[in-house]
Amino acid sequence: MSSSLTHKPAWQALMQHAAELRSSHLAELFAADAGRFDSLHRTFGPLLFDFSKQRLDARTLPLLFDLAAEQGLAEHMSELFSGAAVNPSEGRAAMHWALRLPAEHGCVLAGEDINAQVQAQLQRMDDIVQKVRSGQWRGATGEAITDVVNIGVGGSDLGPLMVTEALTDSRPANDSPLRVHFASTMDGSQVSQLLGGLNPHATLFIISSKSFSTIDTLSNAATARGWLERELGELPGLLACHFIGVSAAAERMMEWGIAPANQLALWEWVGGRFSLWSAIGLPIALSIGMAGFRELLAGAHAMDEHFRQTPWADNLPVLLGLIGIWNTNMLGINAHAVLPYDGRLKELPNYLEQLEMESNGKSVNLAGDTVDYATCPIVWGTIGPNAQHAFYQLLHQGTEPVTCDFIVPARRYREAQHSLAVAELRAQHELALANCLAQSRLLALGDAAVEDADTLPRNRRYRGNQPSSTLLLDELTPYSLGALIALYEHKVFVQSVIWEINPFDQWGVEMGKRIAVDALACIRGDIKRLPGADASTAGLLARIMAGSA
Amino acid sequence: MQVDVYGDTLCALVSATALASTGNQVQLHLPAGPHAEQLQRGECPFREAGLADLMAEQLQGGRLMLAPLAAPPQPSAVIWLALNPDSMPEALSLIAALPERCTRRWLVVNQSTFAVGSSELLQQTLLDCDTPPVNPGAVVSLPDLLIEGNALQSFMRADSWLLGADADWARQLVTELLRPFNRRRDAIMPMRPREAEFTKLAITGMLATRLSYMNDMANLADSLDVDIEQVRQGMGADRRIGDAYLYPGCGFGGLSFSRDVMSLASTLEGSGLAAQLLDEVLNINERQKEVLFRKLWRHYGTDLRGRKVALWGVAFKPETSRINNAPALKLLEALWAQGVEVHVHDPRALDTLARWAGERDDLVLHQDPYAAVAGADALMLVTEWKAYWSPDLPRLRELMAAPLLLDGRNVWDPAFMKQNGFTYYGIGRR
Repeated sequence: MSSSLTHKPAWQALMQHAAELRSSHLAELFAADAGRFDSLHRTFGPLLFDFSKQRLDARTLPLLFDLAAEQGLAEHMSELFSGAAVNPSEGRAAMHWALRLPAEHGCVLAGEDINAQVQAQLQRMDDIVQKVRSGQWRGATGEAITDVVNIGVGGSDLGPLMVTEALTDSRPANDSPLRVHFASTMDGSQVSQLLGGLNPHATLFIISSKSFSTIDTLSNAATARGWLERELGELPGLLACHFIGVSAAAERMMEWGIAPANQLALWEWVGGRFSLWSAIGLPIALSIGMAGFRELLAGAHAMDEHFRQTPWADNLPVLLGLIGIWNTNMLGINAHAVLPYDGRLKELPNYLEQLEMESNGKSVNLAGDTVDYATCPIVWGTIGPNAQHAFYQLLHQGTEPVTCDFIVPARRYREAQHSLAVAELRAQHELALANCLAQSRLLALGDAAVEDADTLPRNRRYRGNQPSSTLLLDELTPYSLGALIALYEHKVFVQSVIWEINPFDQWGVEMGKRIAVDALACIRGDIKRLPGADASTAGLLARIMAGSA
Repeated sequence: MQVDVYGDTLCALVSATALASTGNQVQLHLPAGPHAEQLQRGECPFREAGLADLMAEQLQGGRLMLAPLAAPPQPSAVIWLALNPDSMPEALSLIAALPERCTRRWLVVNQSTFAVGSSELLQQTLLDCDTPPVNPGAVVSLPDLLIEGNALQSFMRADSWLLGADADWARQLVTELLRPFNRRRDAIMPMRPREAEFTKLAITGMLATRLSYMNDMANLADSLDVDIEQVRQGMGADRRIGDAYLYPGCGFGGLSFSRDVMSLASTLEGSGLAAQLLDEVLNINERQKEVLFRKLWRHYGTDLRGRKVALWGVAFKPETSRINNAPALKLLEALWAQGVEVHVHDPRALDTLARWAGERDDLVLHQDPYAAVAGADALMLVTEWKAYWSPDLPRLRELMAAPLLLDGRNVWDPAFMKQNGFTYYGIGRR
């Protein structure tokens, strides 16, 4: 990182290549090369990654690999996988990959047997999952638990929520009637809704917070605890029967009153947004069973190995990451939509928003300098077919260039529980598949995908040339989802290496929490005036206080 | 007539014996198992007034013969099924294997408690022929309405017969077989097979509903400081209600009350219908099976690890060795999951329990009820075998580590137990 990134030869070569390609429309690229799909897609395990609808050609990839080599991607990867402190601002390693090592793999770092610790926690999760799912985890009055509420926010919410919803069809047949809920918002909207409908005798709470000091989570937990104490009275064993804690801060769990047997550990070397593979994933395991959870880990581990060992030209995370660099930095596209064509993946865009934007939404590089190039684009999305009725108008005819990831399983509704309605449901899936293919085609080709387009008035025509990738899963299973999530984790890492930033810290989310402390004191009347308040804040506060008087 | 009865249930033995006693030539086909072995030794596996004697008489007289399940039936072509509720597959293969199935006119009388619609399924199997039979046989439904404890009499002098038959000749033939038992007045109520089956389901369901209702009342009584025994007697005295099936307890079991049987069979599927109340009744019952566990859990402040608990009775009811759906099974699982060592006594069901549980450290079986309670932190009475009604209390107190009684059948008197130094929990008792 001696010279500025944008002045490096590989960067310059890419910029020049982009200037040459910029005038080529995707429709022309497809017309010119019948073998475009063959050369511009890759497969790994249950995933097919088609990037032939990206605005690049055969010459682009080698240039991107040159840049990756110049940025030391290989060295950074081996640092990541050796447990080095790749998060220097917090002096930590980032070893989410260690959470999915097979049990028999050794992983000893600085004298500590990391994998032994990981496997021990997995075994403890297994015990809990077994007990709850068999109906033998008891509330304070001896009732079997029927409902579990995960209280957490950020990484302790988005990952577990996303995977739990994505894998509803992977719940074992003849399943226990266990229901898993999630409460995250600090304003109590979800807990208040949930508590109204739950039976306090049969509800188990998981308080999930890496630091066990997140105010959002602790305030929801306090509400839950108050509810139980009011409803059941101060019974012996109330906390031990109704609360599980997942945290790296054992002492704080202790202070809160989590029974030692109910404390699940994670480690400082796991980032929150990379933690669904740890005990933070307990709600997932409760929902799909521990065998399914281990399949999820196995899928992610397979992707880890693929990332470490496969040459870049066939390496999905490397390609996904570098194509993102190409779009952001060479083509200047700063918006990226995530579009799953499968309703079970509804929470995936939210999850990826955090993974990508909290990791790479930064403008100071590792050397401490402000960067002079774009980093993480704005990432957003929702279920594709629903987005067709919402923001696709902008994608097709707006003024902003946007890149898209289409994510869809090829096969669906093969599980036994759908047997009765299977014909109708498969027909619905075919409809979704067809729409997925049609939309990415129209976005790429524009009018070229439409017959007699030139006879239409201008407001009915399609510009096209919006680049997209399609990730086709054979089927959405714990294994394929594990591989898919790990693919994005490593994509984020690849991009951070190119951009020379630390993807594992998040200093941008700290200060707001602190400033809120004074505002809260003011709202609660502990202080009369907010020190140094700007006119807007003071004005809003005045109005709020006037209402409460 | 010649009749071939299939099954080793109480119903099978009663029907076979009663039919033999009126002059029929009866072959009783027994599935391999403990009942078959007992019968081969000349023992009667059920304690029912008059049954053992009458049966021995018929065997001796040669009108009743024992045979294995697979033995060929006699030529007169009357098949009488009184199998266990979980034996529908066996019933189907039995019928499929009948000799000259498509050419002889078979009469199949089904007394087994199968799901509604089963007789129709059996008939489909009977008539599943390459060419439609000229003289098609028939399956009729004659639900088992025996009253246990008075089983033989309730057959020989039945209050009512639900005879579900579609074909006139079949109805006529069954009526003829029942003629000796149908003399005081005509107690045969003719209906269609699925109506007979449904009536049986409705009867079982009503009995189950009464029990679950009483259990629900007992649980309320527990928290309202009311003695359910007073309530039960008061309710039973009302002639509109009567006093049968009003005893609260720690849940009912047995195959007849299982979800498989108390559901509407495949013939009724696709109607989108489900019995809402019945479903809830069975749910309440599943919860009730853990009621003694909950009382123990709360008594010891949720701390059960390493404790020792004695169970008296695991059979789903007294006088049987069967444990199907027995409350004791759910209790055992709940106790084991909390790290409790369970010591069990049962006069008859220990072998069945051992087969169900397999070898495990936290289960100890005892031939002597007092050996089971030695060092126990609690004694749970789960099945009301008569031998448990008046235990040697000083001996119990001395043997137990803690004098804690959990009476799942309300057979003991709370006040007397307390006077004798026990902590007593019943079902809704105070």
